[in-house]
Amino acid sequence: MPDLGIVLSLLVIGVGLLWLLIRSLRGQEVERRVIFVFILVAVAAPILFPVTFQEHATPVVKRLFDFIDSLPAGSVVLVSLDYDPAMAPEVQPMTNAMSRHCLTKGHKIVFMGLWATGQSILMSTLQDIILPDFPNIVEGKDFVNVGYKAGNEGVLNVIVTDFKKMFPTDVNGTPLDSTPIMADIRSCRDFDLILSIGGGRPGAKEWVLFVGDPGNVPIGVGVAAVTAPQMYPYYPQQLVGILGGVKGAAEYESELAHRYPRFAHTDQPGLRMMGPQTLAHVVIMAFIVIGNLAFFRGKKVRRT
Amino acid sequence: MRRSTYYAVGIVTALFLLSWLLRGWSLADERPDSYLRAFLVTVSAFLTLAIFSFLYKDNPFYKFAEHLFVGVSAAYWMCLGFWSTIVGNLFPRLSEEVSVFFKQPYQPGAYNIFYWTPVILGLFLLMRLSPKAGWLSRWPLAFIVGTTAGLNFIRYLRSDFIVQVSSTFVPLLGREPFQWQGIGDFLANFDLSATGQFAVLLTNWIIFVGVLCGLIYFFFSREHTGAFGAASRIGIWVLMITFGASFGYTVMGRISLLVGRLTFLFRDWLGWIT
Amino acid sequence: MSSSRLSCKRTKRGCPTSPLFGQVLAPASSRRCDLTARELPRNAKTCRTIVGRVPREAQRNKKPDIRLDIRLQDFQARLKTYTRHRITIRSLTALLLLLTALSGSQAQDNADSVLTSDLETSLAPAALPPAPVTELKAFDSKNDHGHSVTLNWRLSPDDGAGKNIVFAYEVYRWVPFFMDSLKSVREKLSQTESAIAELEVFEPPAKHLLNMHREGKPGKGFADSVKFYEDTLAASKRLLPEYRQQVDRLRDERDEGIDRIPSAHTSYPSEGEWRKVGTVVAGESRFENVGVKDKESADYLADNTPYYYRVDAVTVNPAVRSQSDVVGPVRSSGQWFNTGRVPVFVAVMVFGFLTVYFITRAKRGIDLYVRPLAGIDAVDDAIGRATEMGKPILYVLGLGTAADIATIASFTILGRVARRVAEYQTQLIVPCYDPIVMTVAQETVKAGFSDAGRPEAYNEDIVYFVTQSQFAYVAAVNGVMLRQLPATNVYMGRFYAESLILAETGALAGSIQIAGTDEIAQIPFFIVACDFTLIGEELYAASAYLGREPLLLGSLKAQDYAKAAVIALATAGIVAANLDWTWFTTLFRVSR
Repeated sequence: MPDLGIVLSLLVIGVGLLWLLIRSLRGQEVERRVIFVFILVAVAAPILFPVTFQEHATPVVKRLFDFIDSLPAGSVVLVSLDYDPAMAPEVQPMTNAMSRHCLTKGHKIVFMGLWATGQSILMSTLQDIILPDFPNIVEGKDFVNVGYKAGNEGVLNVIVTDFKKMFPTDVNGTPLDSTPIMADIRSCRDFDLILSIGGGRPGAKEWVLFVGDPGNVPIGVGVAAVTAPQMYPYYPQQLVGILGGVKGAAEYESELAHRYPRFAHTDQPGLRMMGPQTLAHVVIMAFIVIGNLAFFRGKKVRRT
Repeated sequence: MRRSTYYAVGIVTALFLLSWLLRGWSLADERPDSYLRAFLVTVSAFLTLAIFSFLYKDNPFYKFAEHLFVGVSAAYWMCLGFWSTIVGNLFPRLSEEVSVFFKQPYQPGAYNIFYWTPVILGLFLLMRLSPKAGWLSRWPLAFIVGTTAGLNFIRYLRSDFIVQVSSTFVPLLGREPFQWQGIGDFLANFDLSATGQFAVLLTNWIIFVGVLCGLIYFFFSREHTGAFGAASRIGIWVLMITFGASFGYTVMGRISLLVGRLTFLFRDWLGWIT
Repeated sequence: MSSSRLSCKRTKRGCPTSPLFGQVLAPASSRRCDLTARELPRNAKTCRTIVGRVPREAQRNKKPDIRLDIRLQDFQARLKTYTRHRITIRSLTALLLLLTALSGSQAQDNADSVLTSDLETSLAPAALPPAPVTELKAFDSKNDHGHSVTLNWRLSPDDGAGKNIVFAYEVYRWVPFFMDSLKSVREKLSQTESAIAELEVFEPPAKHLLNMHREGKPGKGFADSVKFYEDTLAASKRLLPEYRQQVDRLRDERDEGIDRIPSAHTSYPSEGEWRKVGTVVAGESRFENVGVKDKESADYLADNTPYYYRVDAVTVNPAVRSQSDVVGPVRSSGQWFNTGRVPVFVAVMVFGFLTVYFITRAKRGIDLYVRPLAGIDAVDDAIGRATEMGKPILYVLGLGTAADIATIASFTILGRVARRVAEYQTQLIVPCYDPIVMTVAQETVKAGFSDAGRPEAYNEDIVYFVTQSQFAYVAAVNGVMLRQLPATNVYMGRFYAESLILAETGALAGSIQIAGTDEIAQIPFFIVACDFTLIGEELYAASAYLGREPLLLGSLKAQDYAKAAVIALATAGIVAANLDWTWFTTLFRVSR
């Protein structure tokens, strides 16, 4: 049934694109809403009738994966959730995959957020994804959630030299000095790795500018696709690795499932989303080709 | 309002109620608060569809969702600003009584007389409301602009200038294990893989030429003619290729968001997928 | 501890590698060494991860992965020797296991203990200690705010050579017993402050609930808790003043103690003892004893205090070690100038000089050439078009703050647009995302109207605040575009994900669109959806070109020269990279 569904959808899209091509070559206008319908079908069909593709980690993703993998058990990793629900579909898979990886390796995680909305996302991530996968982890010992602090770059500017000045307690009001995980942490310089997941401002770039470079701390980022091109100039000198958009997330999930088979059957939203992504991209590429054909034909017609 | 508008609103309301009841009923076995959950999911779904309806054309449902969004978010950010900045950051460093009143843990060691500065500057900013004392609001503005510019200047200069300049110091003739040994050796060991000599050399040349020509395009003190103009044209080509890559990435991002929304509609609202 | 694990002598944890690595790992109290005995022969990689847990201070200056790899090679060599021993041990152990299994109970535990003792016996190093480290030097760490001492030394001759038995170096500092009493005061103070905080936070809600109860509005099942709340409040009332007094007394005691730290250290070598402050693996000859500047912290390392250090070369057997000579007194202090940041200083000075120089030239009236930009000429045309059509002009300043350069440049262009709008008597709409930007924009537009000689035409509603939520702002601006159908949309400033949505909606509404932003990721959308786009720095140039203000012109010229400098440096850097002149690359290295 799913195969039949996807075949039918592909057929509909194919016939539709052919119709579009013929119309365009005849020089007839195409209603913009038709384009929206195409995208809707291209995205909805693989969601309803799932199609998955194999992903392999590219060097920029693999380097971050290997870095986390090579950190000794007990390393303390700071994970900053700098995004809101609107961006979550794109970057949430990264948070899930990287948190799972860190906890599997026995790393300690300190969660925080530079975006107020990251706090509620984190709570639901912990409740729905992380704790069910790792029922034995203990708050304060294996992870700690210090929450959100207002101040954007100002917060980073302080925590690069004194973490507890900005975050004296965790979200439950427990003093950080009393949590085992934070015993050796004075500033961001004491973290073995910082992961910034987000895509806006403040976000990955600010982490590099205000913490990574001045504090000489290794930083890895998972960013929304819009932001990814801006982060490439910082790689590899100022960044350990980059997860760009849902493709980066899918690559990371795939590498995680490959190296740790226990995660092969957990939910992999990144990989799941690559089906609709691929089909939508194919349709968009077809639009570009059809649009250009129509443009050049129109030019030729005008000339004659 | 026209009669058709009433009909449309009536139909949508009926659909909403029906959807709520059906979803609540379908969730009844799974959770005790099924109808509350179903209500929230249905509201989310209807707001999503209301925003999507803009793709067809502007309509009252879109306007409703838009105004609701603007109003709620403005109020949300105002409350958040008060609770996270003033209550969360300022009071615990300023007054024990006030922080206890707001149920915030007081930080006795953090008290510093300088924390009164933002209080005073904040009040100055509000002076804008007074026509006579409005000029006072320029002081905090000057403070904000000045401190942020100073802070950013050093950070950007270091990370985006000095470190980035040093990142362009790439060996155009390769480095071990790809040290240039002559054209014969290059052709004999020709390899198109991403880690091969050809790819490494090509990457280094692109970085060098791209940086130089890109900078020349942004040179405003000279007319872009002759060799300078040619370099500038290469620069704009480099820029356009970069923008193309960036555009592609963003298309991916937007599709991801659409996938997220449709997954919500199909899974959480309609229950078509698990 | 699992019975299948070997006991680690120092850490008392299950770590089969402890006879080898235990001493190195021992100080890291929070570290876990959880290898099982069976894993050992193939655990070279895992050992790498364990050994990688070197003290944080030692980790800071280098990338951990590089260090780990180096160490891995080192330890793999050492492991070969260990594994050879282990093969013999395993054969013996197998025999013993068989015998003990026949005897029934506690087979595994006995085997473990036998294995442990065998390991220790077989690995017991020669009784002779290694040669001590020499030329130990301690000095104040450079380029910091104080509270840190750096030590370096010449490696023991038995580290990597000679007897090759040195496994790590333990760094000791002489600490007066007085520091223990200060630590206990700090702990008491922290506990009392926490107790006060808990009582204070509890008090208001408890009072509120009790008041509700008295007013006859008890919550469900609340009556049972009344006594608890009353008792706790009474205890709180009794204890709080007492605790507060105690806190005051303890704070005084602590502050006095902190003041006494330097004098307490002068009693060396009496009334104190040597305490370990860190460990570095063999092959390392540097250690940084970093404290914090916060006097209230337990990690406070006082400046201007005479500290004494020594370094022990340790072998696999912690009892077999050799001490270095004591070095000291050494005092830490902060520096005014961080020489590691000279490149930043030079860059600031060069840019500063260029900017001031060109601003001065511009102020003197010397003409500074700026090439014309297509997008700018389009602004005037677009205003004229809006006037002809009788439709408004929408000016969007983006999502940047008032301190962003793009927003500042946008203010200049807005001023020009406002002046023209006032001259042509066209309608202007400026919806703002940031309240501070809004206030500056109001001033700018007001000034523009005044410059055009029509201050009375200025209306407070031209510039207004929408919301600080990105997409809510976009939704509102889209609404304006579709309802008021502006003839021209100008987007100048800092834009993020909303750029395409805005530009697309504007195109849909049929407006002429001019955009400019320095957000690289957003430029493509403006290029495809707008009629004219100012790419990146062109926005600043446009601002200078339009304003002709000496400040902006001078800055633009300085930027041009800076770009020329970058081109020159990049070319020189390429030459240096090809000729392997590493000294040139190091000129651009900035320390933390």
